[in-house]
Amino acid sequence: MAPSAIEETVNRREAWKHLPPPTVYPVKEAKFDKYLPPQLDGRERALAQPDGQAAIVIDNGSSTVRAGWSFEDKPRLAIPPIMSKYRDRKAGKTFSFAGQDCYADTTARGHIRNAFEAGSGIVSSWDVVEHVLDHVFIKLGMNGVEGGIDMPIVMTEAVANLPYSRKTMSEMLFECYNAPSIVYGIDSLFSYRHNRGKTGLVVSSSYSATHLIPVYDSKALLSQAIRLNWGGWHAAEYLQKLIRLKYYTGFPGKLNSSQAENMVRDFCYVSVDYDQEVARFMDWTGLEDRERIIQYPYTEEVIVQKTEEELARIAERKKESGRRLQEQAAKMRLERLMKKEQELEYYKDVQRRIVDQNKKETKRLLDEAEVKDEAGLERMIRELEKSIKKARTKDLGGEQEEEQAAPDFSLLDVPDDQLDEAGIKQKRQQRLLKSNHDARARAKAEKEAEKARVAEEARLDEERRVNDLEGWLEEKRQARLAKLAQIKDRDRLKADLGNRKSLASQIRMKNIANLASDGPSGTGSRKRRRGGDDDDFGADDADWGVYRSVAMGANKGDSDDEDGEGGEEDLEAAVRALETDLLEYDQTFEYDQTLDAQKDWSKSLLHAFRYGPRPFDPASPAETHRLHLNVERIRVPEVLFQPTAIAGVDQAGIVEIAGDILTQRLPALGFAAGATDDFLRDVFLTGGNVLFEGFDERLRRGLTALLPAGAPLSLRRADDAVLDAWRGAAGWAGTEEARKARVSREEWLEKGGEYLKEHDLGNAFA
Amino acid sequence: MSNPEALAAQAAHQELIEQLDIHSIHKSFRNPHWRPNQRRNKNIKAILGDASRKEASVIATPQDNSGAVTPLQDNDGLSTSGASTPAAPSSSGSTSLQPNLAQASRSLSKLVLEKTLSAPTRPPNGVSSAPTATYTNIESAPSLAPLKHYCDVTGLPAPYMDPKTRIRYHNREVFAMIRTLPQGVGEQFLEARGAHTVLK
Repeated sequence: MAPSAIEETVNRREAWKHLPPPTVYPVKEAKFDKYLPPQLDGRERALAQPDGQAAIVIDNGSSTVRAGWSFEDKPRLAIPPIMSKYRDRKAGKTFSFAGQDCYADTTARGHIRNAFEAGSGIVSSWDVVEHVLDHVFIKLGMNGVEGGIDMPIVMTEAVANLPYSRKTMSEMLFECYNAPSIVYGIDSLFSYRHNRGKTGLVVSSSYSATHLIPVYDSKALLSQAIRLNWGGWHAAEYLQKLIRLKYYTGFPGKLNSSQAENMVRDFCYVSVDYDQEVARFMDWTGLEDRERIIQYPYTEEVIVQKTEEELARIAERKKESGRRLQEQAAKMRLERLMKKEQELEYYKDVQRRIVDQNKKETKRLLDEAEVKDEAGLERMIRELEKSIKKARTKDLGGEQEEEQAAPDFSLLDVPDDQLDEAGIKQKRQQRLLKSNHDARARAKAEKEAEKARVAEEARLDEERRVNDLEGWLEEKRQARLAKLAQIKDRDRLKADLGNRKSLASQIRMKNIANLASDGPSGTGSRKRRRGGDDDDFGADDADWGVYRSVAMGANKGDSDDEDGEGGEEDLEAAVRALETDLLEYDQTFEYDQTLDAQKDWSKSLLHAFRYGPRPFDPASPAETHRLHLNVERIRVPEVLFQPTAIAGVDQAGIVEIAGDILTQRLPALGFAAGATDDFLRDVFLTGGNVLFEGFDERLRRGLTALLPAGAPLSLRRADDAVLDAWRGAAGWAGTEEARKARVSREEWLEKGGEYLKEHDLGNAFA
Repeated sequence: MSNPEALAAQAAHQELIEQLDIHSIHKSFRNPHWRPNQRRNKNIKAILGDASRKEASVIATPQDNSGAVTPLQDNDGLSTSGASTPAAPSSSGSTSLQPNLAQASRSLSKLVLEKTLSAPTRPPNGVSSAPTATYTNIESAPSLAPLKHYCDVTGLPAPYMDPKTRIRYHNREVFAMIRTLPQGVGEQFLEARGAHTVLK
């Protein structure tokens, strides 16, 4: 490694201390705002409008439903298309909410249902739509009107909406709300109209999908429209997935899609040159500026600092209770002692009495005392005496060791034939005692010898170092390398055992099979044939190693844990010891070459990826509750441009789609080259998902690369990419064209549920 | 719960909920006799399935096969490649053995022919005769551009792929991490890229 690189890593390990404290963003999510009273004035104004001009305009979006009056310049309401309905059993009452109101109550939040099928612009739950519309009409001040909504309705729908969806919506509006007429249109086209577009390519990226629609002379060429199934919803979902994987070991915070949506909105941007930028994104230089940290709520563990006085009091209390316990124990001991003395008294009395009794009387007395025979009685007395003595010495402060120090081995030298039965018994006991005693002494001696050996080794080592430093260092280096190789081998073996087909696993299976079979196997069979049962397994201690190797693989977790982990620790500890030596005496050996430095966080890409350019303290709840967004910031919006490579959506990205429309489809329709240039001159961006910083520039670059040189490409954004769809619909609602396109209730009844009048801004009748 | 503050807060919350509730509000604008179809909630798959079934049954009936509706009916026969019209004889007859297949191939050939036949003759604003856009046919086709590879873990450019888990990775360190992933987590990384194995 070049010296400069080493220097850089050293700096990195220290550099974070010079960084400013991290900017931490709180996590945001959708919340209940406030109660919105019904607005009755709107309807009054609507009634004052010239005949047929006023209409209720509803932008029926999958992220937000916006509703208002056609003669106003902004919607009165903007609510998410959700509802929540539940029954409070305690109150015996059913509650239902729509829009943000669902977030007002915990129970309600748990019952939220969405009107749209997840990630699409198609309604899948009509009850929710009904609720949302109820809410909309109430808030628009329509409650109180008898017999239905008496205003024409203008509503947006998805591009190429399904006939079934339109039919069901019409049915509901006509049958349930008794609307006089309805007209549907496409939101992005309304937005384009509002921004005075005539001919151009509308790029609309919204919550549920991204559409590209060429518009010629104010008329949408829907047959050439293309949809990419990726929108804000997908982006939020994808980000959520990425975060879960990033912290797959477990993130303590709870991440929901609304939070992810806010993160996408606040922190993501479209990279103008993705490949360039992503390759350098995790570079240490400036990483702190590129990453965004989101702090989840957490509870700090409160460590109460105790004062000196409190500590003293606690110690006093402890001592006090200890004393009390001691007293109690002493009392109990005393009681036991007294009981034993009484017993001893009793047995001694018995012994005295049986001295000159005949056999029968002796037996009676012994039976009374529940003792088997005289010897038993004697033993009992002896034992009692011993224990009383022991207790007494203990009470006095106890030195009972002198008893153990000199065990009596007198009988061992006496031959058996000179002893009676009791003597032999005692001799056996003494022999046992003696072997025990000897073993202990031996162990002690061994330990001391070992200690001496280690000390001697250290001394020799020292000597070698002093006399032959180079050789000594070389030896250490070799030893270190050997240990490192061992560690590597161990890791490889561990990894291999995970794989059923690896050589290591196969050998292990073979070992197990060999051990399990009683039958002859391999070399064993020859022995068996040669004669009898001379299985010499275990003759060599190394034979038992086979069990070790088998168990290692069996469960690396539990039983062999100490073994496995212990060995591991040993290797690493050994390397560390060698490294400390090298660090101390070898000039060429730097800290950065050590195993610890290799594993240091400042070298880890994954550390930077998960925790940014600062060290991470797993004990701090604030730090564990932080999300660090870095590559995700450009990775998530990039899906629009590379859906397959990044998120596995098997569709072309928007640059490719736009290129296809502009260079293939439109010329194929018969547009001359000059005419297709008209589309190029007005590439129009609308929808909430195009608000990313850098979107226009990226699309411009992508298209420039696809188009012939000098093509008159011009991009523009809607003035308000989010609200212009509603505004366009409102502005259009009163026009002659819109009124012609209205489907009245009578027409609907006569011509059927899917009936639709085609107009420039709407879907075709399929 | 017994302290007055909590009780007051609870009462205020209850009041707010009552205020927000739209269940108890009488809605005069609604038709009181409105009874929605119990089975109106359908997902896209079901809707598309129903539609194609319906279409298939329409095609199977002969009177609907008149030239007015399907002007290019006999063009099925024009197609020289047998593969594109597997049910050519039956589609002209009234009993179609494979209505879906026939329908698919017919609409496909119709699309192709219309595009080729009409392109030179139609003026630029003549859009009416183009095939209508439906929810399914406006979907973007798969990309033809060469696929770039990105690390499944970090999102950085990925020159390598782990042959065992099929996860793409950026460098040695990421590889080491991939190899220590617990069972099943690797699949989740693949799933984010849509490259996971789906068992059916």
